Amino acid sequence: MSEAAALPGERPEHGADVHLAHHFSSLERQVEASRLGMWLFLCTEVLLFAGLFVAYSVYRFSFPAAFAAASRSSEIWAGTVNTLVLISSSLTVALAIHFARTDRPRAAVVCLSITILFALAFLGIKAIEYTSHFHEGQLPGRFYRYEEVRLPGASMYWSLYFLMTGLHGLHVLIGMTVLSVILFRTAHGYYSSHYYVGIELAGLYWHLVDLIWIFLFPLLYLI
Amino acid sequence: MLVWIALVVLTITTYVTGRMHLGTWALPIALIIAVTKSLLVILFFMHLWEQKGANRIVIATSFVFVALLLSLTLGDVATRFSLSTPAGAPFGTDVPAQIKEPSPEHLPPAGPIGQPPRGVPEPK
Repeated sequence: MSEAAALPGERPEHGADVHLAHHFSSLERQVEASRLGMWLFLCTEVLLFAGLFVAYSVYRFSFPAAFAAASRSSEIWAGTVNTLVLISSSLTVALAIHFARTDRPRAAVVCLSITILFALAFLGIKAIEYTSHFHEGQLPGRFYRYEEVRLPGASMYWSLYFLMTGLHGLHVLIGMTVLSVILFRTAHGYYSSHYYVGIELAGLYWHLVDLIWIFLFPLLYLI
Repeated sequence: MLVWIALVVLTITTYVTGRMHLGTWALPIALIIAVTKSLLVILFFMHLWEQKGANRIVIATSFVFVALLLSLTLGDVATRFSLSTPAGAPFGTDVPAQIKEPSPEHLPPAGPIGQPPRGVPEPK
């Protein structure tokens, strides 16, 4: 995010905004550029997960019965609750951005904290799920020892499950870190209706994390 | 903000589709469509609707490439030569999982050392 304005020790140019970096002609251009940059990054993230989704669909195509049986053996309640949690966290992040844009930083701080709590709840539920998977033997590849589904290809399902949810969980963690930094900055009054790009971009990332989970959920749990 | 109402609607849809797991088979397609539509609503409500065209082109391009990746890969797997399909697959199973060598009368005679192995066609 292009928030490095003047170098320490320098004063900004006469009349220039303190957030404006010297290589942009106006703050609005800088903000648009940072938004475009963020969108480009989000597209690379989409493609990253697309690779895994394609792997999932190829193996699902090859082993439909095993995948259907294996996904039925995963806990639907956990997936549904996690979906609700993430959707609500998207809502709170959107609200936080709205409050920052309308110069209510304390409400924004509250919303961001709730978002981070939702993220923690998501990871907690995921941890419970993983624990139950380890106990039942629903593990990737050659570690698979789940008695009730013995079709060929079932271990493939679990490899993909752990890969996809693991990568997604990593993104949740990164998103939480980013949101914590933004929370810290908002609490110190860094964002206002004049300059709120930081929160907006962090919100974009968080929405993407939610988006990916909404794709993951039906493929891994419902089908 | 209208985002609130939209997201509550989405949550309800998700919950309903979550409980719809009674319907197996061919309902996955309906599920996927419903979910992707809900996603796109989130995107539009939060970002792209209020922004410049450049960002929309960027995200649309990435979806185009994802669709390409998915369709071409699945097309490859679906039209594969039967000997390369994994064991237990529902197609291409006219060849048994344990590849049995054809009986000797169907093969050309084994050549001397240095010749290509049996069953491999001569390079033209």
